[in-house]
Amino acid sequence: MQNLYEYINRFTHVTEQEFEQITRVLETVHCDKKHILTHRGQIEKYLYIIRKGLVRKFFYKNKEEMITQLAKEDDLVCSSVSFLSQQPSEYIVETLEPCSLLAISYDNLQRLYATGYHMERMGRLITLDWLLQKEAWEHERLQHDPRERFIKFMKENGDFVQRVQQKYLASYLNMKPETFSRYKHLLRN
Amino acid sequence: MNEQVLYKHYMETVFNYFRRFIELSREEFDAITPYFEIRKFDKKTKVLKIGETDNYFNIIMKGIARKYLMVKKKEVTIQLSTEGHMIHSELSFNLQQPSDCIIETIEPVTFLSMSYDSIQLIYHKFPKTEKLGRMIITEMFIKKDQRDFKQLNRTTRERFLEYMHNHPDMLQRVPQKYLASYLNIKPETFSRLKHLLRPRKTVPAKDS
Repeated sequence: MQNLYEYINRFTHVTEQEFEQITRVLETVHCDKKHILTHRGQIEKYLYIIRKGLVRKFFYKNKEEMITQLAKEDDLVCSSVSFLSQQPSEYIVETLEPCSLLAISYDNLQRLYATGYHMERMGRLITLDWLLQKEAWEHERLQHDPRERFIKFMKENGDFVQRVQQKYLASYLNMKPETFSRYKHLLRN
Repeated sequence: MNEQVLYKHYMETVFNYFRRFIELSREEFDAITPYFEIRKFDKKTKVLKIGETDNYFNIIMKGIARKYLMVKKKEVTIQLSTEGHMIHSELSFNLQQPSDCIIETIEPVTFLSMSYDSIQLIYHKFPKTEKLGRMIITEMFIKKDQRDFKQLNRTTRERFLEYMHNHPDMLQRVPQKYLASYLNIKPETFSRLKHLLRPRKTVPAKDS
């Protein structure tokens, strides 16, 4: 819970009482690996905070899986557009390791927002953070070639190499598995 | 349309747009309107350059503007916006950091703009705008995600047809190379795809 408290306070200061209001509506979810949290076509009901484990978000392009998010401890994950719009999900959210998650339902989040401007502010700034991360990722993808993206990603997420199958990492970086393998020699020194 | 009429029309549009998200009285809206500024630029003007901090959130009242990145000396257009759309550098404006992209007008442009400081002031002075801000950001997030999704999930041909169908006037108003770049289509391919837009020839009916 300490991590969640710190996460929220990065955006806006919440009082102890407000934080308690938030934690009171959090649900704990434990699930095995390869568990599908959100199916395609389903309306995303929950926003998850990962306490332990790994989760991926992907969609099918014809029959090929396209991974758009890899999330680990302390990350937020859900089918975000479906969650925000309450429309059927285009994406699938699936665990890659056994997971321990905290979940907040859409309805409970709306109720929290309705309790005051302070909560609204928290919601605004967290949603803005999602938007900016998306924008930064797009710029990065366009400004750097696959080799540069590979090196940067591996530097910042070294532990993923041990925990995530290579084909998933390659898909997330939008490169062929063969290209990914070829780049691995860049990590040696 | 003269300037005054256009301004009134745009304020009305903004008022209705805000009311899609929150309950807002005319008086409450009138308290916010003095914070808007009208800014005009000639065509082909760089409104924001690389390295500058974006100080304005803009709604386009008239004209077209684009946002692009320089990638190895080549321009990559990431946004094309026309009347009623919002344009700013999300990263530079919100984080108040130097911009990595350029905003440039294509036609002469009139913006309805609000500065970073004014927006912060409004959030503090009128707390119900917190919700308005959250809802507008949510909508921007959804639109951006849908565009990313289409880039990855649709074929070149599908992206071309869908865009042209939804924005029929852009082919006249925007140089093709910008449209091609925005849709991530090679200029040659873009030219080739244009035949898809020509109306099918119909066989003239015979007199009977």
